[in-house]
Amino acid sequence: MTFLEAVRQRFFAFLIVLGAAMVLSSVAFRFLDFGHGELKFIADFGFGGMFLFGSILAVVMTAQLFFAEMDNRTALTLLAKPLSRAEFLIGKFFGVWMILGLFVIILSALLGLVLWARAQELSLLAEQSGRVAPDFSISGLSIFALLQWLRLSVVAAIVLAIAAAARTFLFAVILGALTVVAGQLQWIAQDVLLKPTESVVYKSILWLTSRILPNLQQFNIGDALVLDSGTVAMSSIGWVILSGLLYASAYLLLGALVFRRREI
Amino acid sequence: MNSAISVRHLTKDFKIGLRGLKLRAVDDLSLEIPRGQVYGLLGPNGCGKSTTLKIILGLVSGTTGEINILGFPSATAEARRRTGFLPEAPYFHKFLSGRELVRYCAQLSGVPAVKMDDAVDSALELAAMTEASSRPIGTYSKGMLQRIGLAQAIVHDPELVILDEPTAGVDPVGAAAIGRMIRAMRDQGKTVVLCSHLLGQVEQVCDRVAIMDHGRLVLEGRVDEVLAQRDRHLMTIEGLTPEARLAAESTLAAHGARVTSVTHPRRSLEELFRELVTGSRDA
Amino acid sequence: MRPRALWIACLALLLAAGALSERSWLSVRSCIPEIGPKQIEPTIGQGVLLGILGGFRTVIADMTWIRSYVLWERKDRPACETLMRTACALDPHSRYFWENTGYALGYDMAHWEIRRRGGYAKVPKEIQDHLFKSYARKGLEVLDEGVRLSKGRAALLVFAGQLAEMKLSDKQLAADYYRQAAETVSPPWYAARFCARNEWDAGHPMEAYVWFKNYWLDRLSKESDHAPDDLALIRDMETHLKINLLSRIPRQSWEK
Repeated sequence: MTFLEAVRQRFFAFLIVLGAAMVLSSVAFRFLDFGHGELKFIADFGFGGMFLFGSILAVVMTAQLFFAEMDNRTALTLLAKPLSRAEFLIGKFFGVWMILGLFVIILSALLGLVLWARAQELSLLAEQSGRVAPDFSISGLSIFALLQWLRLSVVAAIVLAIAAAARTFLFAVILGALTVVAGQLQWIAQDVLLKPTESVVYKSILWLTSRILPNLQQFNIGDALVLDSGTVAMSSIGWVILSGLLYASAYLLLGALVFRRREI
Repeated sequence: MNSAISVRHLTKDFKIGLRGLKLRAVDDLSLEIPRGQVYGLLGPNGCGKSTTLKIILGLVSGTTGEINILGFPSATAEARRRTGFLPEAPYFHKFLSGRELVRYCAQLSGVPAVKMDDAVDSALELAAMTEASSRPIGTYSKGMLQRIGLAQAIVHDPELVILDEPTAGVDPVGAAAIGRMIRAMRDQGKTVVLCSHLLGQVEQVCDRVAIMDHGRLVLEGRVDEVLAQRDRHLMTIEGLTPEARLAAESTLAAHGARVTSVTHPRRSLEELFRELVTGSRDA
Repeated sequence: MRPRALWIACLALLLAAGALSERSWLSVRSCIPEIGPKQIEPTIGQGVLLGILGGFRTVIADMTWIRSYVLWERKDRPACETLMRTACALDPHSRYFWENTGYALGYDMAHWEIRRRGGYAKVPKEIQDHLFKSYARKGLEVLDEGVRLSKGRAALLVFAGQLAEMKLSDKQLAADYYRQAAETVSPPWYAARFCARNEWDAGHPMEAYVWFKNYWLDRLSKESDHAPDDLALIRDMETHLKINLLSRIPRQSWEK
């Protein structure tokens, strides 16, 4: 039901269109490329679109779907049924999870198409000039899409946990957005934690922060997966996926516990 | 256990602001709602009846006290499985058809797949929504929305049905139809709890009423008992001439009775309205 | 399940996720271009943050580089240097930014500084030399970091060698850079020769000869043309150092 409601919203279509426009426009902007390699430049547009619009979708749509139920009082009707609070929240999560999956699949497919088309052209040019043709990995792109879906799912789970406690949609969106930024920059705390330090208090604070906030930067291995395939071990990807799944589960459980005590 | 709902010493305090001030919404309420009757819960705005309903449905937790529904604690899934609820001014997803909504609610309420179609059909029939069930909810009128809300509340054949303002904003014809549905549910053995500001309808439909004010129960009992003025009688007489009236008054005075008023009976505007427009349906 | 037990389970799950996240971060860290707080500090609020967060790194790096051109035109040394370094940090795998930043620092900015202080006639020669050397070292720092992070190691090492040679007049340092360049997988054809020449000029002729000889035997001799010019240079070295015949590279059939 959540998925059906979400997919009908113009906001979703708007973000898909924006993301697609970004990917397609990368070919037009390639004159700005300063020697990175055209495919890298195009890929970066795609990665950026998925990151930016995907994060907006995850934060705003999750909060909006939750608060729509509260404000319209459909939650009253649903929660009066033999449906536990946890089931309600998990149902919301899976609806959002499906919409995020659809978003990632569409954008990844489009990016793959643009990369393939450009790689074919560059390959012909390289043949003529006797140089090595640049290439990209479709399997790497698929794995990257999966990682982005997982990253956005973690964000959605966090926003649901926030929404379960928040009183207003705006508060949930702002806090959710700040959490995304903090999660993307959390790796700095993790790096500092790995270095020796004398301050126990400082280290304790960093330790706690690095546990509570997921390190979302670890999902940004698009360059290595798509353009340098073979440089990322499958075991590393496995660890990233496992940590993402654990975080999503932890925040869903937290959200369910908070929502249990909420008065409707 | 004869009670459909048993409320014992229920109190609910809401915290206001940061200083920890409390607002007492329900104050030591005790109530026994018997099974198989239509029970009216009345009171002015802010009296605590909506809060009481929400606590009964497990949407809000009480500060102290105990509530049981059909022998089960109110916050349990078992209690909710046996309860159907129609909220005030219900909102449903506009893109769903009436049948899809009722089916969705049936699934949530645990209706087995083998019985699904029959349950949905029965609920739609009772709510007189069979013809309109394939249309999107976005095209429904106010009365139709209430009726489809009723259908989703009863699709899983609950023993207890709670209706919050079921006829608010509905025309008298639609309201009368809903009143008939409520009586039909009672005849099926269900217990119906009705919250309404339309006292005329409550009086017609309910078997028992409870009146709340400032979070407390001020009156509870059978409708005809609480409304009857036992020390007065009403006679409707046809063909009363002035001479017959004088003779009747002196006879009554001789027996110690006193005639306090003589008026012509009036029918209500609702009765007149229904007499005139009974033929129109809003389906 | 009791509520308290569920809260404890939630906390345990979070901590487990965090511990796993630490491990997964260590395993993928090398795949992600580094950027630390120092590099971003001067440019936070100028749209660079978006690149750091994970999206559009390449694009933001390009935009930052273009903005540095504007500052280049104005000869705003501190701001130009900041933006150039930020572009390098945003896209550390790209050789272009490191190369041009190193060049700008090493060759150009000293002149801007001299002009800012009043011009060549006004600034004493000693101060000028100090500035040239100081900025050349800055340029080398940038190129060193680029060698560490980017994929264009050989080219950056050659540029570093040139900078050391021309601006620092440090032949030994230049030779070290050229040696590193020559020992990469696909070195420029002249790297070994430059290394040998600089090593020789730094006052280590025998070391220069030995290294260059072994390099020719291991790598250059296997090339299609056998690198005749390099062999000619080695022969000059052998003559100068009076290397005995048995220790020299055997005469090649194609040698004149």
